[in-house]
Amino acid sequence: MNTQRPYIFLFKITLFSLILSVLPLNEVVLDAAPFWLLLLYTYWLIYFPVKGSLLTALILGVLLDILQGDVLGQNALALILASMFINNVKQSFYVSNISTQQVYVFFSGGIYLAVFLSTHLLMNGLTNNYYLLLAPLTGALIWPIVRFSLAKCRHQ
Amino acid sequence: MNFLKAFIPITIAIFLILFDYKFAYLDSLRQGVSTLISPIYMVVNLPKKLYIWVDEQGTSKDQLLSDNQNLNNELLKLNARLQQTDALVLENKKLNALLNSSYTLKQSEFTIARIESITQSRLKKQIMIDKGSNSSLQVGQVVLGSKGIIGQITQTTPTTSSILMASDPTQHVPVKNSRNGIKGISQGMAENQYRLFVKFIEPGADIKIGDIFLSSALGGKFPDGYPLGRVTHVEYHKNEDFQHIELEPMQKTHDLEFVIVLDNQ
Repeated sequence: MNTQRPYIFLFKITLFSLILSVLPLNEVVLDAAPFWLLLLYTYWLIYFPVKGSLLTALILGVLLDILQGDVLGQNALALILASMFINNVKQSFYVSNISTQQVYVFFSGGIYLAVFLSTHLLMNGLTNNYYLLLAPLTGALIWPIVRFSLAKCRHQ
Repeated sequence: MNFLKAFIPITIAIFLILFDYKFAYLDSLRQGVSTLISPIYMVVNLPKKLYIWVDEQGTSKDQLLSDNQNLNNELLKLNARLQQTDALVLENKKLNALLNSSYTLKQSEFTIARIESITQSRLKKQIMIDKGSNSSLQVGQVVLGSKGIIGQITQTTPTTSSILMASDPTQHVPVKNSRNGIKGISQGMAENQYRLFVKFIEPGADIKIGDIFLSSALGGKFPDGYPLGRVTHVEYHKNEDFQHIELEPMQKTHDLEFVIVLDNQ
């Protein structure tokens, strides 16, 4: 089996997660959908140990901001802080079983959501979009599928 | 060391947020990168385009004839209404000439575009259309539906444009009451995606439920006289300076397929 190079793999998963992030979905599904970029980037952070992961998170976040028409830096800041959490628990994450990994993914999703909502609150005020709160949970639930699929792709 | 590693990207991200929110310096960066990654939109919209194409190929001759008949009837009705409008424009010109007024009604040119998708972001209400800078569309152009204002173009790529809807909390539209001309500024409500509210209308001003607010040319951002919303709620609290007026947008987006983009004049 052939393991792919880190940045080629990153390019592929970025493209895929950006496509997933702008899929035209029903509003409720869109709100409750996982943070795709975070989910796929988490896999890359864990299984491809490279330097400059936070700067990469900044670039990917900015790409998502532009693609979704959000304020520049909003997704970037959220992705950087969530990546910092993943970097801190990296060793433990790597050796954990799938359910512990899901807990870590849930917390990183929570950090992402908190930062995303805080910046939105500061700029535009409160939102009553409660389905958004489901996003970390759906991310954690879907993590086993993401991990399995990306592992398959990585070794192709 | 770890702190330093995180400090630089976090600072850049905060800097980007502040500058993009407050100023327009980063618009050219956004425009450039947006053009670069625009093929992603094409990939995302491919299945829908394919579906429309297959649907159009599979439409029966009877259906086409029936549609054609309906459209011809609609055209006749609209032409009849247009005659009235033409008469009113003529009358307006004569009155302006009599009054030596410099105010004139502008004849708008427009582009028709098809909606590709609605809302790509979780907290921003946006529409993506299938025409962009290749069709001479620019940031700032106003977009209409058949029943009223939809929003304004905020981002263009060669083949697509993003429209920020009038019901978004960051969008401000100068408005006037169609019944008595009372002016205010409308803004989307962050806590309710399907409502707008009108600011800066003093207590005691004559606003009733059912009144229609039209766009006003105040500030030159929007054209004059297009319907924006119908009043659904009016409230005044003694300790507040202005009335709390809620609007329901005239143009709903769920049944929309095509939009009209007004040319900048």
